[in-house]
Amino acid sequence: MPDTDMFTFEMLRSYLFVGAALLSIGMLGFLARRNLIVMFLSAEMMLQGVALTLVGFGRYHGNWTGQVFTIVILTVAACEASIALALILVLYNRRSSLDVTLWQEIREPGQPSTSEADVAMEAESVEALAGPESYPHLTPAGVEPAHSREAWTVRRD
Amino acid sequence: MQRDLILAFLVVLFGAAGTYLLLPHRHGSRTPRKVHLVGAGLAGLGLLLFAFFWTAPGPWISRIFFYVFAFTSVGAGVLTITSPDPIHSALWFAAVVLATAGLFLLAGASFLAAGTVIVYAGAIIVTFLFVIMLAQMEGRASYDRASRSPFRATWTCFVLLLGIIWSLLHIDGPSRAALAQPGAPLASIDPRLPRTDESAAWMKPGSAGSVAEVINRAVRSTARLTDDQGLPKPHVAGLGETLYTDHLATVELTGTLLFAALISALAIATPKAPIRPRQKNTSETGMITPIAEVGTAGV
Repeated sequence: MPDTDMFTFEMLRSYLFVGAALLSIGMLGFLARRNLIVMFLSAEMMLQGVALTLVGFGRYHGNWTGQVFTIVILTVAACEASIALALILVLYNRRSSLDVTLWQEIREPGQPSTSEADVAMEAESVEALAGPESYPHLTPAGVEPAHSREAWTVRRD
Repeated sequence: MQRDLILAFLVVLFGAAGTYLLLPHRHGSRTPRKVHLVGAGLAGLGLLLFAFFWTAPGPWISRIFFYVFAFTSVGAGVLTITSPDPIHSALWFAAVVLATAGLFLLAGASFLAAGTVIVYAGAIIVTFLFVIMLAQMEGRASYDRASRSPFRATWTCFVLLLGIIWSLLHIDGPSRAALAQPGAPLASIDPRLPRTDESAAWMKPGSAGSVAEVINRAVRSTARLTDDQGLPKPHVAGLGETLYTDHLATVELTGTLLFAALISALAIATPKAPIRPRQKNTSETGMITPIAEVGTAGV
């Protein structure tokens, strides 16, 4: 009996390979990056890998279940996105930074801590752009309203 | 089989080494540009070797599209997690989502492809807003240029990938000849992944009814991609039919989940006075956040 379906086992396996690669790359991003937004994107990428696997399996078995499950995953991803971005907003308001290292005092007991100096020492060097730092000059239009200058020239730390 | 396992080791080795070099981190006194070039070469080699595992049968055009989408999704995934600038990360993630939607399309899930593009397009734009509001541009922040123990993280994740590839390589496709004889002994089949309808056809005649009954109950006619004559159902109609007959409780639960997420996001994101035990809280309203201070200071 030849395989009548066009979506053969080999094709299912290549979908599973791609899904597995996306999952492990997303996990790597979640573990290794310090930026909260990049960590959030990595988590979404893991969900994409799983969704790919489910769609492949559903197509292989000839039923809709994989796609229904993927719709559920899509919804869960939307919920996760809303809550994660709300959390990122709150965390940023507290520390004025997206660095996840700043929140290490809530780690489990017994875990080693990293200091800001360690992070700065491990950071790769930035290539300085040639020339002085410059901003575009905008021609003022209309009457300047009354305001205090300090509002945006004072740094908020 | 031996060749495949060696290839899997090479894929993981090159991919891990390349990704490790690509991750933003200080590598001695070498310039980042050189390290990234070497890393990109190694990761690209690993990705090319990974493509030897993929088989995309079918007409040549869908074969080409499969390779394009698969390469794009994995490559853009690597670039998402390795680019120091969060804006670039978000853009590469958009590429991952588009490529995944293309793979959905090739697997016959056109509604999901459209849904993924629509939902994630919105998500990406919101992420963009957040990056523009909050992040330091161009990856200047030190936390964007230093990864958290990149060596151990890379090896953890690529050993996981090696495990998955290994186990997938050990699964053989079903042997069609054995499945064609209904009621043949199970040991002669041994495939670990027969299709549902194949195993149903194998079990139906003459077998002790319980297993066949379970399969027929599990895959009802509404849950199949094809109708009774074996013709494919109209796509969205079929998906909606199974969604609102077989999975009605799931739909309700999902709606409840969305509602709960809405409420919790509101509860989390509403500005509250920060809790600082050592400092007496001066503002009675407790609504002042750093952003609000800047906005109202000029008034």
